[in-house]
Amino acid sequence: MYDHNGEEIFVIDGHVHLWDATEGNITHEGGEEFIQCFYDYHTTFTPEERQWSIEEYRKYGAERMVEDLFENAAADMAIFQPTYLTDFYGDGFNTTEQNAELATEYPERFVLNGSFDPRDGEAGLEHLEELNETYDLQGVKVYTAEWRDESKGWRLDDEAAFEYLEKCEELGIENIHAHKGPTIRPLNRDAFDVADIDDAASSFPNLNFVVEHVGLPRLDDFCWIAAQEPNVYGGLAVAAPFAQNRPAKFSEILSELLWWLGEDRVLFGSDYAIWNPDWLVEAVLEAELTQDDRMEYGVEWDLETKRKVMGENAAELYDIDIDEKKAQFREDEISERFDLEDHYASDAPAAADD
Amino acid sequence: MTGPTSDGPTREAVRDRLDRVTDPELDRSIVELEYIDVIEIDAGTVTVHLTLPTAWCSPAFAWMMAVDSRTEVEKLPAVERARIYHHEHMHEIEINRGVNAGRSFPEAFPDAEDTVDAVRAELDRKARTARQYDAVEALLEGGLESETIVSLRPTDLERTDGDDRLSIYLADRAVGVSVPAEPIDRYLEKARETGLVDDETDPLFLTPEGEPIDPAEFELVHRRGRLAQVNMSSQGGICDGLRESRERRLGGVAND
Repeated sequence: MYDHNGEEIFVIDGHVHLWDATEGNITHEGGEEFIQCFYDYHTTFTPEERQWSIEEYRKYGAERMVEDLFENAAADMAIFQPTYLTDFYGDGFNTTEQNAELATEYPERFVLNGSFDPRDGEAGLEHLEELNETYDLQGVKVYTAEWRDESKGWRLDDEAAFEYLEKCEELGIENIHAHKGPTIRPLNRDAFDVADIDDAASSFPNLNFVVEHVGLPRLDDFCWIAAQEPNVYGGLAVAAPFAQNRPAKFSEILSELLWWLGEDRVLFGSDYAIWNPDWLVEAVLEAELTQDDRMEYGVEWDLETKRKVMGENAAELYDIDIDEKKAQFREDEISERFDLEDHYASDAPAAADD
Repeated sequence: MTGPTSDGPTREAVRDRLDRVTDPELDRSIVELEYIDVIEIDAGTVTVHLTLPTAWCSPAFAWMMAVDSRTEVEKLPAVERARIYHHEHMHEIEINRGVNAGRSFPEAFPDAEDTVDAVRAELDRKARTARQYDAVEALLEGGLESETIVSLRPTDLERTDGDDRLSIYLADRAVGVSVPAEPIDRYLEKARETGLVDDETDPLFLTPEGEPIDPAEFELVHRRGRLAQVNMSSQGGICDGLRESRERRLGGVAND
């Protein structure tokens, strides 16, 4: 747990990947463009001394991921968000199966999400059922801009997508994470348009729609939709690292989110390995809203809000009992391995984070 | 050609035209954003070289900036022909060839399903919404009430104190307020360009959807203007950062 001036904050990293972008796995030039574009985002918003080489970045593996997330207790839990991209990568870029390697080894620490693509038709619906049987899914990540043969993307308000959302409802998969973020070349910009969330969210009031990357560069469209649809949430991945080298901008984005969505509907995510929670969590928790923004928006980035955004809101969506988790983490394998037992001791103060 | 041989435009005149071209996503001048690398003038032929912050910048946006640059520079009487070249862009060949040959976007990109018109209209809408925020802020600071602001028409704006102030008279001219003209002119430029404020008696300010503002909705519409600004400047932060990291990677190559 993060120790914030003597106060414990339970951190659920809402957006992590375990990907493979090694050259051997790339089957289409789009795969190389994609990882290079990710790498640009990595270097742009990572402190220089924490940047990885492109070779490390292509494939870091399960071991390193466990260390980055948990070794210094930056995160307590993490949610895998798969990104298939099977037209670009032979074995897929970051599939549920790839993520399952870690998620099934440390089920107490990871939430494993599935994925669907309505263009897969009947076979895709069956596959979703199988995934659900194997992994007991609570959520899916969808990537509306993914290429599939001639198609350059799909929309969540398509008739075909609605069939999948009905299936999710039926299977009890309640959390739909939609990547709506910056243009990742070579994917088409319009396929990340957020407008489709509006109709999907009002048609499926029992599902939660988490818009990843808060729709950037369509923060305005996203907030406007979220203000009207109570089951729409914002995932902070991409916005979060602004805290590190664009603090005034971070303050403004966060103020807008808190003003339009409120403190219960914003979720932290690192987007690991684009950014690493081992420095990002601290950057976000130590960030402050500017005096001007606090006056203008009337919102606060205080302890209560931080606890919600960094963990409690995700816990609510995924039925995670944080107190129960703390008790469990007093003696789980990860705590043992990294000597974190004291961290989760009920009445002892958390170990200093740095 | 039998026309007179021109000495060509001045560099300042070309920069001044280019200054009117905006990055459509950020609504800021491409000159101010330092996208322009070199301007070459050879009699009536002007060649502009530009580099965007990242090679991944949307081809549609890159296309718009090239077309707009060409159109603006060719407005100068001394210019017969303007050529625009993007550099370090992943689609520079298609864009440079297409724009300089006067083709349409779908002609240049066989993959593209449509022209850039819809994208342009959407970004213009956002730019108008964001500019309205500054204009309305100026009026609020000048002491106008929200009910008055939503009822204003272009004809209510009077230039009295020279070019940089506007006056608005209320209550049968019993009361007058004076406000800086710049934010209002900047807003009006976009509102007129998009055809929403056509007539001097049209409502001056509108919702993002282009409707007159219900006084009860004033605050919400105003907040949406601010949100549009935050969105654009956040994206500006991303573009800026991507450019810095590219320059670091290329060993600190400066523009000049």
